[in-house]
Amino acid sequence: MDKVRRSLLIGGASSLAAPILPAFAAPLKYNLKAQRIANNSYVVIGKTEDYSPDNGGDIVNVAFIDTSDGVVLIDTGSSRRYGEALKQLIYATTGKDVIRVYNTHFHPDHCLGNQLFDKKKIAALPKTISGLKASGEDFSSNLYRILGDWMRGTEVIVPEKVINYSSEKFGKHRFEMLPFKGHTDADLAILDHETGVLYAGDICFLDRAATTPHADLESWHKSLKEIKKIPHKIIFPGHGPADTTSRSIEQTDSYLTWLETNLTKSARSGKDMLEAAKMSIPEKFQSIDVIQLEIERSVAHLYPGIEEKTLPFLGQGDG
Amino acid sequence: MIKLYTKSNVSKIAQLSCKLSCAAIVAIAFSAATLKINSSIAAETDIKSSNLSSLPKDSLNSVMWDFVATEFLLSDKSSKKIVMNNQILVHAPKVAEDQLNLPIHVDARSVKNVQKIVVIADLNPIPKVLTYEPKQAEARLSFRIKVGQATPVRAAVLDKDGVWHVGGTFVDASGGGCSQPAVAYGNDDWVKRLAEIRGKIWRTPGQKSAKLRFSVRHPMDTGLADGIPAFFVEKLEFKGANDKLIGNLIIHEPISENPTVTLFPILKEATTAVRIKGRDNEGNLIDVAVPAPVQSSALQN
Repeated sequence: MDKVRRSLLIGGASSLAAPILPAFAAPLKYNLKAQRIANNSYVVIGKTEDYSPDNGGDIVNVAFIDTSDGVVLIDTGSSRRYGEALKQLIYATTGKDVIRVYNTHFHPDHCLGNQLFDKKKIAALPKTISGLKASGEDFSSNLYRILGDWMRGTEVIVPEKVINYSSEKFGKHRFEMLPFKGHTDADLAILDHETGVLYAGDICFLDRAATTPHADLESWHKSLKEIKKIPHKIIFPGHGPADTTSRSIEQTDSYLTWLETNLTKSARSGKDMLEAAKMSIPEKFQSIDVIQLEIERSVAHLYPGIEEKTLPFLGQGDG
Repeated sequence: MIKLYTKSNVSKIAQLSCKLSCAAIVAIAFSAATLKINSSIAAETDIKSSNLSSLPKDSLNSVMWDFVATEFLLSDKSSKKIVMNNQILVHAPKVAEDQLNLPIHVDARSVKNVQKIVVIADLNPIPKVLTYEPKQAEARLSFRIKVGQATPVRAAVLDKDGVWHVGGTFVDASGGGCSQPAVAYGNDDWVKRLAEIRGKIWRTPGQKSAKLRFSVRHPMDTGLADGIPAFFVEKLEFKGANDKLIGNLIIHEPISENPTVTLFPILKEATTAVRIKGRDNEGNLIDVAVPAPVQSSALQN
């Protein structure tokens, strides 16, 4: 997910102008629930929606593992308030403190809850750190714009622990660091060798359309091919339900292939971006959430590059 | 080829200006524009006071409407009157996913004898986007623009009786598109590839017009990113067989980097190629022929 998604705040506000206003606005509260997916392993599954003032940005998956050394947390959510709710949930579930946090990549839904945790314990790939440094403020101000008060007090906290190692062990759990790219420049997947759960970050989506604001499709396909070869019991995608059949790999791969094929066809027939965004969605993708919206967004991200490859070269101007 | 500044300089400048406060720039540009309104209203009062007071109510409720109307429409020599016309179609997404690449399609085929189409994004620091004079072409076109913030985007279409027909839409955006350095400066080869032209003509049997889509590789600097002067493709002319003029296109800073445009020329013979000639504001020349359309190529694709 990304900064560049904006919603019509004006539209949102006008829906508040309903005839009866509640006397007290309910305090904004995330209703996070932990589900156990393996031994000592819990996930908090976000809504498969776009950011909105209704969901407060609770649209991302996070996971935590209860080890004898303390809790390992994978991603921190979209806001300070989300981070608070998550921290409470972790403590209520495990009774332990967080000793390691991973940010799988630099998109704001995965790391704007960082504030609640010790930044020295937050680990990320080097390009995730530089990406968040460069774009974090823009991400955050854009989410303030979309989510409003849900974001109150949120600040960008950049991870201080650089992942330049291939694995680390907490309690009995050995976590293997799997650096991929394609969804962004640096996408971290993590394999817990104790449980066989593969935390895929946004390399895998399931029943929620993949997002492409910083995507490189060729690298993404390559990453999916590699991730398929890694032995695992469960894949936990960045968005959508836990996956025991590797469906998230297949679906993400075939959706991205379909998307690129269609956009290339559109460019070959001379369509402009607005025309290219109108594509009919094949049956097998129709149950994927927010697919229409993500197609429109992806056209904005990908079409200029695809057109450049497709339109015939005619010559060059001269000074 | 060019130039005014060396690549290494520009890269540094681009890096520095990346972190500029877009909001501040837009705010400054905006207050400058507001000042300009006051002075231009004062100046116009003598000449066009009757016109100003008789401006039609803006269907988009833009605070910039008086300015836009006086500065860009009433200032035209042949301008006699402005009417709001919801048959002038301006297609754009409701929300700009990428504020550097907002796709727009303008369709003014409902107006007879179109002399020119002026496209304006009211709240951009530089509001005027382009002027298109279709001759042997349909009165419609597609292009992409940068937006500095949420803004009305309108098309004003001048007919041969001096009447401006104005239509438009409102686009939401988070801002900053006009004050960011071009993406090209991230690549080492931008000077080498400057003014590369790509394009093709499609023809669909039974359609009145052909479709010409082309792109010009160009940074399209607005001059609003710190330390980077305005540098943009400015004028393009399109000619068909026997040098017959298809149309003129004057484009301005808000057009997206690597301008990519669709026009709809009316080509009499199936074999007519289109010649594109033009220049940027630094005098770099563009001259290229887009080959004749292959009959029914659109269908094969």
